[in-house]
Amino acid sequence: MKAKSATGRNALLVSLLASGLSLAMPVLALAEEGGGGFSLLIPKMGEFIPTLIAFIIIWIILAKVGWPMITGMLDEREKTIKDSLEQAEQAKIQSEQLLAEHKAQLDEARVEAAQIIANAKEAGEALKADITAKAQQESADMIAKAHLAIEAEKKAAIADLQSSVADLSVSVAGRLIGENLSDDEHLKLIERYVAEAGSLDAN
Amino acid sequence: MNPLDGLQEGIAELLEELGSLKLSGPDSFFISQYTVWMVIAAIVLVIVAFAAKKREALVPKGRFLNGVEYVVQWVRDDICRGVIGKGSEKHLPFLLTVFFFIVINNLLGLVPGAKPGTGTISVTFAVSLIVFIYFNFYGFKHQGIGGYIKNLAPKGIGPLYPLVWCIELISLFLRLITLAVRLFANMYAGHIVMGVFAMLANLFLQAALQGAGFAIALPSIGWELLIIAMYALELLVAVIQAYVFTLLSAVYISLATADSH
Repeated sequence: MKAKSATGRNALLVSLLASGLSLAMPVLALAEEGGGGFSLLIPKMGEFIPTLIAFIIIWIILAKVGWPMITGMLDEREKTIKDSLEQAEQAKIQSEQLLAEHKAQLDEARVEAAQIIANAKEAGEALKADITAKAQQESADMIAKAHLAIEAEKKAAIADLQSSVADLSVSVAGRLIGENLSDDEHLKLIERYVAEAGSLDAN
Repeated sequence: MNPLDGLQEGIAELLEELGSLKLSGPDSFFISQYTVWMVIAAIVLVIVAFAAKKREALVPKGRFLNGVEYVVQWVRDDICRGVIGKGSEKHLPFLLTVFFFIVINNLLGLVPGAKPGTGTISVTFAVSLIVFIYFNFYGFKHQGIGGYIKNLAPKGIGPLYPLVWCIELISLFLRLITLAVRLFANMYAGHIVMGVFAMLANLFLQAALQGAGFAIALPSIGWELLIIAMYALELLVAVIQAYVFTLLSAVYISLATADSH
């Protein structure tokens, strides 16, 4: 604003000087009387003074309200374009940084995931081996227990059988002594005994 | 009949027409056709500048605004900043006004029937006087009146100083005249050449129409082609002379406001 008013003041000063000098022009205009080709180079007041006035008026008007708007906008546009380019450059650099960061993070995550899977596999293998070993151990124990039980049962059965054979022998002997046996009866008795023994054996 | 018979008379007529014709006012202060065209150019300049200002936006739109802005930027970067350099911003409005005022006057003169305001020494002299006062004013302001006068001639030339100083003083005032005459002479001569070519085309055609035979009209075609070529050249001259005027103004301002000669 200050610069603008200074321009206006200077324009006014220059115009004052110009009109002062133009007073000297009638002297030149007198020389025109000679005529000829030279008269072309002698300013005519009717053209000279209006030009001075018109030029100075236009100069003051445009210097105050014309050119500063246009050149100001040119400057502003230049600045805006420069700023925008700088911002774009900045944004580009930032996005590149972000991309690199994300890539690094992704790679890290991949490595981590692979690690987790490997760990899980290892743990699973270990668990499997453990479970298998336990199961084998348990089954072996169960088999051993079953063997023991069978063995005990067998022993009990044998003892049982031995006692019943003795009883039977005693009762057979008792009967042999208590009864008069014919040959035929004798034979039947033996057969029955044998059948009894056989059925017992079949048990 | 010889079609060139009418040339002498035609040229005299043309020169009279290109001189300042009195439209109104007393003999010592008459309004000529050049005054009128200069005022029209001034009005066109104001309209162009304000139309451009009105369309101004951060994102430029339209050929008109882009065109005006291109020229403004060119004057600012190539002439103002390029020549004056540091502190050139305050001279930009003046140089823009000088350039646009002259270029619009020059270009308006190329419209058939119109005259360039710069086709008379009075208008170019007025502008060059303003430029002369402008750069001397800034010279005085920048170096002080004594300093500016003393610095007209360079230091360190010993006894030659008074002689060089006188030569420099004369050359300083010659700038006033050379600026004005260069622009005026270019515009004036261009219009004379175009006028003569047009006259020749016309004379040969008229001779043919008056029964001198069809063949005599053929040179008219050549003259017409030459006028087209001249027109293109004059378009260039109109812009180049405005550029030269503004560039020299910038050079003078830069010399006057330089820290040391």
